Amino acid sequence: MYVGEALRVLIENKIRTLLTITGLIIGVGAVIAIQVLGSGMSGAVEGVLGGFADNSFFVQPNPSQGDFLKAAIHLRDLDQVRRQVPNISDAVPLSIVREMARSGHTHARSTVFSTSAHRYAKEPFQYGSNLTQSDVDTSAAVCLISHAAYEKLFPSGGDPVGESLHIGTHRYMIRGVLQPPRAGILNPNQGGDVSLPYTTFDRDFLHGEPMLLAVFYVADVSQIADTETATVKALRAIHRNAADIQYITFDRKQIAGFITGFFDTLTLIVGLIGAVSLVVAGIGIMNIMLVSVTERTREIGVRKAIGARRGQILAQFFIEALVLCGIGCGIGLALGLAIGFAVNELALVKLSGTVSAIPWLQATLVAVTFATVVTLAFGTYPALRAARLDPIEALRYE
Amino acid sequence: MNNSARAIEVRDITKIYRTGAVEVPALRGVSFAIEHGEYVAIMGPSGSGKSTLMNLIGCLDRVTSGSYLLDGVDVSSLDDDALAEIRLKKLGFVFQGFNLLARTDAIRNVALPLFYAGVPSRERNTAALERLAEVGLADRATHKPTELSGGQQQRVAIARALVNNPAVLLADEPTGNLDTQTSDDIMRLFGELNAGGRTIIMVTHNEEVAAHARRVIRLRDGLIVADDRSPSALPVS
Repeated sequence: MYVGEALRVLIENKIRTLLTITGLIIGVGAVIAIQVLGSGMSGAVEGVLGGFADNSFFVQPNPSQGDFLKAAIHLRDLDQVRRQVPNISDAVPLSIVREMARSGHTHARSTVFSTSAHRYAKEPFQYGSNLTQSDVDTSAAVCLISHAAYEKLFPSGGDPVGESLHIGTHRYMIRGVLQPPRAGILNPNQGGDVSLPYTTFDRDFLHGEPMLLAVFYVADVSQIADTETATVKALRAIHRNAADIQYITFDRKQIAGFITGFFDTLTLIVGLIGAVSLVVAGIGIMNIMLVSVTERTREIGVRKAIGARRGQILAQFFIEALVLCGIGCGIGLALGLAIGFAVNELALVKLSGTVSAIPWLQATLVAVTFATVVTLAFGTYPALRAARLDPIEALRYE
Repeated sequence: MNNSARAIEVRDITKIYRTGAVEVPALRGVSFAIEHGEYVAIMGPSGSGKSTLMNLIGCLDRVTSGSYLLDGVDVSSLDDDALAEIRLKKLGFVFQGFNLLARTDAIRNVALPLFYAGVPSRERNTAALERLAEVGLADRATHKPTELSGGQQQRVAIARALVNNPAVLLADEPTGNLDTQTSDDIMRLFGELNAGGRTIIMVTHNEEVAAHARRVIRLRDGLIVADDRSPSALPVS
């Protein structure tokens, strides 16, 4: 009876009802979306960095310094650092060139990466196998190719291991073909089209020129921060401690911290929008309920004259506010879940390559509880006002 | 209904309204009794106190002094919710402006008091339909007030007033918004209800309407100036 009555009143004032619940819809939607995103993102950070070994860090010349080239790192510098910094277990240069690759009569413009024996050690191979340490030590003319490059260069398929691949004027034997990469922006498997042993790359393409950046592996991960400092110190020593030579380092923890910080800020902003929307929605509900009570003063008078008790009038307007809240919550829920689901499936899962558990039920409960509390808090005053009306005055109201 | 008691018994009641420091006496000591089954018109010019008396009898307001027994129950000092309970169980209101709920169809308007009394839905509908049949509107049960004529709306309002089987039916200018023909119909219905044993108290300033009652109490300046029983009133048709 109360609910049916409330629905009739709300349907009769469609536009007013819709405007009133807009705030609720945005609020509930935002609160749900943010919780879904929050848990999706924490999973995404893990996924994004999944391929980034936590025992490694990158060093590159600070690109904003005056003479970038003076700080350049060469292959020979790495051996020196390795000798000076005890915690470093390996040091690998990372460089990239764009070259035309050719297999038989098939050409494809390709990115060529320098790599070490253990970069792809844990990755699955479609054909063949990983580079070996001796490939690196002997600057062997061998290469790995990505799944994408394999499809471009070997359109007719088949096992290409042992066949020749021409890059520029050089010729390499194909050692292995990687499987298609998992999703994830920092996934190691998502390197270039062709990977060469870094010694081979240095000989054929760099000709003693500096590398793009250096990857250092540490034996004791807990000492990684100190090791980074020691490495930078060693590199600066190699460059005669010139005052204007600077390096930047980044490791997994730093990147994770950066990404997490970004997501935390985003979460805070959307959370605030949700909270503010819900409070504003509460004020809107209060406003419209006060209008409703005033408009229906005479009706309230009639109901009281007929014998409605205060509690029954209170219940009527309370339930009207709750039905309003229910409609808003329903639409907000649908919207919030849809947005959360879409962002999670289309962006986060793709980005991270992992599916993280989303607390749909908890998200829904938190949003609905918040909205209900706000509605009850702001619906109380109008309902009390209706319940306290004097029947004689209310009946006289025009 | 309490058969051993009178329907209404007021003793020396006064009602004084306070506007700031000014006291305005609306009733200045009124006493009368109405037996079950009577049909009474309360008359008087504006300012005579008849509306105040109606509000007091209708338990919408409390007396300043004096005592008021409704169906044997002293209601002079009850709180708001207790008065609401009395209105629900012992009184039926018919207003000049009908005062039906606009969005609600006839049967639900009639059933409203039963809803407040906590009667289950099925019984509410049965009782409401019976009352609608009594006022000749069984075929209009699902019509909204806007789909009914003034006379029909007042009939629905009367059905609503009767649905709780009250001790007293209170009517405030029940024909004030109706044309002569429809007024006569409503008055005929009141006559029938009274003939069937209903106690009816009606406030009006219209002598013709008052002539349908079998007793007329006249007020002036907050006091009763006449209380005429007229067995020669218009016969029940």
